[in-house]
Amino acid sequence: MPLPLAGLRVIDLTWIIAGPTATRFLADFGADVIKVEHEQAVDPIRLGRPLTGGAPTLNNSGFFNYVNRNKRSILLNVRHPFGMDLLKRLIAVSDVVIENFSAGTLASWELDYPQLRELREDIIYCSISGFGHTGRDREHTTWGPTAQALGGLTLTSGLPGKPPAGWGYSYMDHTAGYSAAIAILAALHHRRRTGEGQHLDLSQVEAATVLNGPAILDRTVNGRGWRREGLPPGNRAWQPAVAPHNTYPCRGDDRWIAVAVTSEAEWEALVRAMDEPAWARDARFASNAARLANQDALDERIAAWTADRDDYETMALLQASGVRAAVCQKPGDRVERDPQFAARGWWRTLPHADMGETTHDGVAPRLSATPGSLRTASPRIGEHTREILSEALGLTEAEIDEYAETGVFM
Amino acid sequence: MSGPLADLRVVELCDELGQYAGKLLADMGADVVKLEPPDGSEARRVGPFVNDEPGPNRSLTFWYHNTNKRSVTLDLDGSEADRERARALIARADVFLEALPPGRAAALGLGYGALAAANPALIHCALTPFGQDGPWAGYRVTDLVALAAGGPMNMNGYDPADAPGAPPIHGKGDQAFNTAAHYAVMGILTALAARDVSGEGQYIDCSMHEALSSSTEVGLPHWLYAKTNIIRQTGRHAATIRTEPWIHRARDGKDVLVFNIGRSNESWGKLKRWMQSHGFGANFDEPRFDDPMARMAARGGAEAKEIFAEVSRFVAALDAEDVYRGAQACGLPWGTVRSPDETLGDPHLHDRGHFVATAGEGLSGEALMPGAPCVFSATPWELRRPAPRLGEHTDEVLRELADAGATPE
Repeated sequence: MPLPLAGLRVIDLTWIIAGPTATRFLADFGADVIKVEHEQAVDPIRLGRPLTGGAPTLNNSGFFNYVNRNKRSILLNVRHPFGMDLLKRLIAVSDVVIENFSAGTLASWELDYPQLRELREDIIYCSISGFGHTGRDREHTTWGPTAQALGGLTLTSGLPGKPPAGWGYSYMDHTAGYSAAIAILAALHHRRRTGEGQHLDLSQVEAATVLNGPAILDRTVNGRGWRREGLPPGNRAWQPAVAPHNTYPCRGDDRWIAVAVTSEAEWEALVRAMDEPAWARDARFASNAARLANQDALDERIAAWTADRDDYETMALLQASGVRAAVCQKPGDRVERDPQFAARGWWRTLPHADMGETTHDGVAPRLSATPGSLRTASPRIGEHTREILSEALGLTEAEIDEYAETGVFM
Repeated sequence: MSGPLADLRVVELCDELGQYAGKLLADMGADVVKLEPPDGSEARRVGPFVNDEPGPNRSLTFWYHNTNKRSVTLDLDGSEADRERARALIARADVFLEALPPGRAAALGLGYGALAAANPALIHCALTPFGQDGPWAGYRVTDLVALAAGGPMNMNGYDPADAPGAPPIHGKGDQAFNTAAHYAVMGILTALAARDVSGEGQYIDCSMHEALSSSTEVGLPHWLYAKTNIIRQTGRHAATIRTEPWIHRARDGKDVLVFNIGRSNESWGKLKRWMQSHGFGANFDEPRFDDPMARMAARGGAEAKEIFAEVSRFVAALDAEDVYRGAQACGLPWGTVRSPDETLGDPHLHDRGHFVATAGEGLSGEALMPGAPCVFSATPWELRRPAPRLGEHTDEVLRELADAGATPE
């Protein structure tokens, strides 16, 4: 079946996670993503754990492989005048340039948007930076956790009276990547209609603040900030205010089930699933308002019911009874035990020259006529230098050899 | 209309799940017609409400997630005539975005087969908790339950020293729904790329579970390559071993994110001089601190521990915003742990016009909320209209249908 983004050439100057997440999506659906690399400044994720076999080789990071499948790699020393010239020639025959350097870096290479347009009039240029390319703090830098802290996400995750638990991973690297992919795809549609390219200026902090709209409106409309008694509420509900809504321990080490009751019908279903315990008929639990007012007692009793139970069996029982519930799945659970992923053939494998057979996520979402696909594992560094120069720029083997002698492919 | 999707017509049939996807499309210029039951979308019953008074037009959560849309009330459960109207609207649309349980769309006569027969160019995106098939396809979720199943939640939590026996923690803000919406929109726009070439539409099976499981960073690689489940830590990345704390309390009681200390020699030198100018880190000039590897927290070395302990004392002597700005001047990516509403006080965001003013029932004047997730130079993000009142556009949209000669018999 045809790949929907086939024929789209993307010059990928990004590294770490945010930019590579955007280009992973584009590559899954057929874009020719050319990762421009330099041995003196490698993508740190090429050294990122977990590694196969002891020391890092640049080609044995499982983390890098997870984020960079379906892409090609070219080694290009852009500090060398010939390297910069080749990069400019590649941009001239590409549709999209994406980078996630600090604001100002590409301008210092003389590759800001007006200069990119001189190379390719209708180029779509996507910059992912911490704060965007305008505004007084544009030179501040962020990693995912910084954007989460400054954007208001970190504080919304935690138990009352405890320090913020935050997000135990770079949620905002994923999300900045998705926001960039959305912007690029929307800009491509506009370009197909009008012939016009544009600059997409994505700020990782702004991509975070937009995820908290209701809490911000609560301040600007009701004058109520998030720093107040009872917030963050742990795993209890903020909005809609319902109870029970929490995680409960199950049999085993660090096993938890999340349960959320959103209506009286679901409460009745939970009571039946628990075999009608007498406590459930207590007036303290007779309505949502009453349950909200007595959550400590309520959660204690539900936890006593779950504590000796198997988590997956309890999830199945509750869901069959009409109660929203799920195991808090660990990575290993998702791969080894999750029957939904197994039934949908979610986990896929790809051979990697240095790492052998490697396992990957499938492609989401599932497009019926033009689905994405897994075609190649992550590239070895510089694996496609020659073929890219030959295909995209029409360089001959002899010409490439000449360039190689100048030290430009390193 | 100026957005990049200004030529697109979308029919949306979504509650809490999916409404953000409709917003993203509408905010980029698409004409999104939201179909609601006569008593309104469930999402209109989610608080907070204006002045804490519930009402179909007073939910701030609804306001935020339904900007730029038009609301049409149809009784799809009870009226065949209304189901016909929905089919007529979708027959003229580019995109049908729905978040019904598997099988429900077909039961309403809104299955992809029937819709595509009338409109082969239609992109039908079905967003569900677990996808259209499989043993969990009928399972129901909330944001909490989806984040638990999909894996993100297991990454968030506490060091035992901070909260012994604490469970995985649910970050707020409906982030499971948000991630699902991002995948739905990426899928729709990818299908649009195919359609711009072929003229053919298609069906998209968008599983929130698959979207979430694809969004847990290094969690899966550690299992896939080392059969290790990462451990949760307070306010920092889940990891295979316990690492130095990142959250440090400043003098004003606010927390600061402190990490990547001394990754480069340049930023280490600046940090050292900044701390020393405040009387901290007097011994940091000792040569044993010169090695970047010795300074790396993940290695668990003695120097890293010393540095973190001294930085913690230093942070406690300053206000949070001063730590943030001082560290950024050293090239360090530290940040204040702000509440969602404290972002309103950041002048940089106002320089960029990030916040936009909206209006609605019960509010005199206007109130700010976040605007564009990305700044487009040629086709800017635009708030054309606030979230619609329930059924505000029913007559208007049905009249357009009549004017187009597309009113069902």
